[in-house]
Amino acid sequence: MIDQYKQAFQEEARDIVLELESALLELNENSTDKELIGRAFRALHTIKGSGAMFGFDEISAFTHHVENAFDRVRNGKLQATADLISLTLAAVDQIKAMLDEAAGQGHADPSKGEQILAKLATLAGEPVTAQPKKTTTTADEAMPAPAKPGGDARSWQIHFGPGADLIRNGTNPLLLLRELRQLGTLKTKAIAAGMPPLAELDPERCYIAWEMTLITAAPVEAIRDVFLFVEDYCELKIEPVAAASSGAHAVETAPGEASERRPGRKASDSAQAASIRVAAAKLDQLVDLVGQLVTVQARLGELAARGEDRDMQAVVEEVDALTSELRETSMSMRTLPVRSTFERMKRLVYDLGRSLHKEVELTFEGGETELDKTVIDQLNDPLMHLIRNCMDHGVESADVRRAAGKPEVANVHLSARHAGAQVLISVADDGKGIDPEAVRAKAIEKGLIASDARLSEAEVYSLILAPGFSTAREVTDVSGRGVGMDVVKRNVEALRGSIEIASQPGRGSTVTLRLPLTLAIIDGLLVRVGDARFVMPLANTTECVELTQKDIEAANGKHLANIRGEIVPYIRLSEYLRVHGERPEREQVMIAETEHGRYGFVVDQVLGDHQTVIKNLGRLYRSVQIISGATILGDGNIALILDLNRLTQEAIRNLAMEPELHAQGARVCAAATASQGF
Amino acid sequence: MPFTCEEREHQCVIRLQGEIDVTCSAELKRCLVEAISQEKDLAVDLSGVADLDVTALQLLWAAMQAAEKVGRAFSFPNDPPENIKTSICDSGFEPLLSPHAPGRPEAASEAADD
Repeated sequence: MIDQYKQAFQEEARDIVLELESALLELNENSTDKELIGRAFRALHTIKGSGAMFGFDEISAFTHHVENAFDRVRNGKLQATADLISLTLAAVDQIKAMLDEAAGQGHADPSKGEQILAKLATLAGEPVTAQPKKTTTTADEAMPAPAKPGGDARSWQIHFGPGADLIRNGTNPLLLLRELRQLGTLKTKAIAAGMPPLAELDPERCYIAWEMTLITAAPVEAIRDVFLFVEDYCELKIEPVAAASSGAHAVETAPGEASERRPGRKASDSAQAASIRVAAAKLDQLVDLVGQLVTVQARLGELAARGEDRDMQAVVEEVDALTSELRETSMSMRTLPVRSTFERMKRLVYDLGRSLHKEVELTFEGGETELDKTVIDQLNDPLMHLIRNCMDHGVESADVRRAAGKPEVANVHLSARHAGAQVLISVADDGKGIDPEAVRAKAIEKGLIASDARLSEAEVYSLILAPGFSTAREVTDVSGRGVGMDVVKRNVEALRGSIEIASQPGRGSTVTLRLPLTLAIIDGLLVRVGDARFVMPLANTTECVELTQKDIEAANGKHLANIRGEIVPYIRLSEYLRVHGERPEREQVMIAETEHGRYGFVVDQVLGDHQTVIKNLGRLYRSVQIISGATILGDGNIALILDLNRLTQEAIRNLAMEPELHAQGARVCAAATASQGF
Repeated sequence: MPFTCEEREHQCVIRLQGEIDVTCSAELKRCLVEAISQEKDLAVDLSGVADLDVTALQLLWAAMQAAEKVGRAFSFPNDPPENIKTSICDSGFEPLLSPHAPGRPEAASEAADD
């Protein structure tokens, strides 16, 4: 149980460290912002206090010194200079390393911590204090001198009733009282009303509650932070004394001073159910089970459809609806806003800016865009590579920018937005852009293309993603070894995504990652082409129209469909994929929005919608880019999932390369044929 | 064991040592219950204590109540260390340090009602 709470502390502490890092980086831009200073101080204070409470004494003691420095900043005795912020960021790294070490991952070098503290002490004008050795540190030792209530001090009435199991969970309530005392003047009264006689007393249970009066200049958030890790396991009420003593007649309270009531478990389960932490592995297991359920449901539906039992069919329909809802819910549980990933990049931009001597502002939009957790987890590295690359190669030095009439401070802009079943993540900079001629020359030099190769601008840019490609004149520590961009490509493709590069010489470049919303289950349309069945992602398709012989003749045999006056080109899948079979008299054209515009895809029959549990294709078919995966159908057979964007792209490209078209079709045909006997 | 129990003619003396926390609270309770059952005065020596947690404090509190209920004295024979006295006071258990003082605090009176 105690381990569980230690783990909870680790997770919470990592979140707080991110918040601290974010506050410090913002403070770097606005060093006098009291709100930001307060945010940084509170984060440090919480890590220190909670660390001591859960036995992370070294973390607590180290953070205590950093907190002291920020206490001086808070009190106006120290300026939040760039040096202080840089040093504090180094301290944040050390705290992260200590958290990792406590979790059994890696090692935190104590000498590094000592160096940071020594520099911090010098900067803060305090005596040099070595980092304490690993000893049991009491909370008192880890606490700064009590804050003296200032002129704007307020009086707070606090009721703290620990839950019965708080002690068993590894929490020492007295440490919380000690921490509270650091905020100001505290009067404490223990209430033992619920305590049984000695003989009946459970020695590991807490029977005591406390009524306290605290006079402090600290905001209510600082008081609440003391109880941050136990608020779900205690009864907590914080209210200004005026309101507390006002009886039935309410006293007006200033905004933000409303009483803070945190009912314990017994009082309100719903209040604490607002959010809970669940291990990611459990969510993965849930989605996996739902995937299996979806497959079984498809089989059940098919069996019911074969019979005549209407009652059975009604039940199957109901189960189908529930399965669909369960699928949506379980998938949504795995989605996370991309904001935290973007936030992490602030630190990278800060560090790179310092090492490259370039002033760069990072901005972002669409942070609320949600993505599957698996995608988010794997987005970090590609984004880091892209930002490194654009700051190293794209963004010019201040002198060059000034000479070019650009602002000295460069901009790197991250954005995220939904586009159908995909999310587009862009990294844009206002640097010098990519010189297509330089890229082309380098590609020829590296033997990546023939010297007479005719490539479009987009194709030239995509050469940057080739392994070993680098146009940087010098190899730098940051990104000049040409290993970054092909790693980005590999990572993004592993997520079934794609990369697009756009650039305007002198004005900057934009790299866009097109990522699937989810990697597990999608809504699809099941279609038949000859004997093979395929799934088209429903998010891409807009409508389905019939294609008769008369329509084909009207278009003079060209692959063009007239959709209410709009001419839409189409691809006949049986021809393109070389699936043999008799062409039906009336074919169906699925109209889809692709990256290349509206395209039609001619199929023999539309079988209906299909909840598609995506399975990876084997290594043998990995090179078939127009297929994004496979799914198991209700009858046990396999249907291949078409990537309509890639399919269109390939078809356009192959118009001029007929033999390649046939080769591609032959490989898909082989995959489709192989799936029939599954 | 962070404590010992010594039985005298009219008094049981329990000596606590080091850190007294939840890890030894069951043993402390057993020791206190046994001492109370002797129907002798109870003295708890805190002079060797480095730190006390809330489980220890509430056991001492309950022991004080139990001793008084059977008409026996409860005391701390040697002066507890300053940090322990501070800890007791800061935790709202100040009446423990003056068990014979008139006018029980709220905690004492409410616990006695049980």
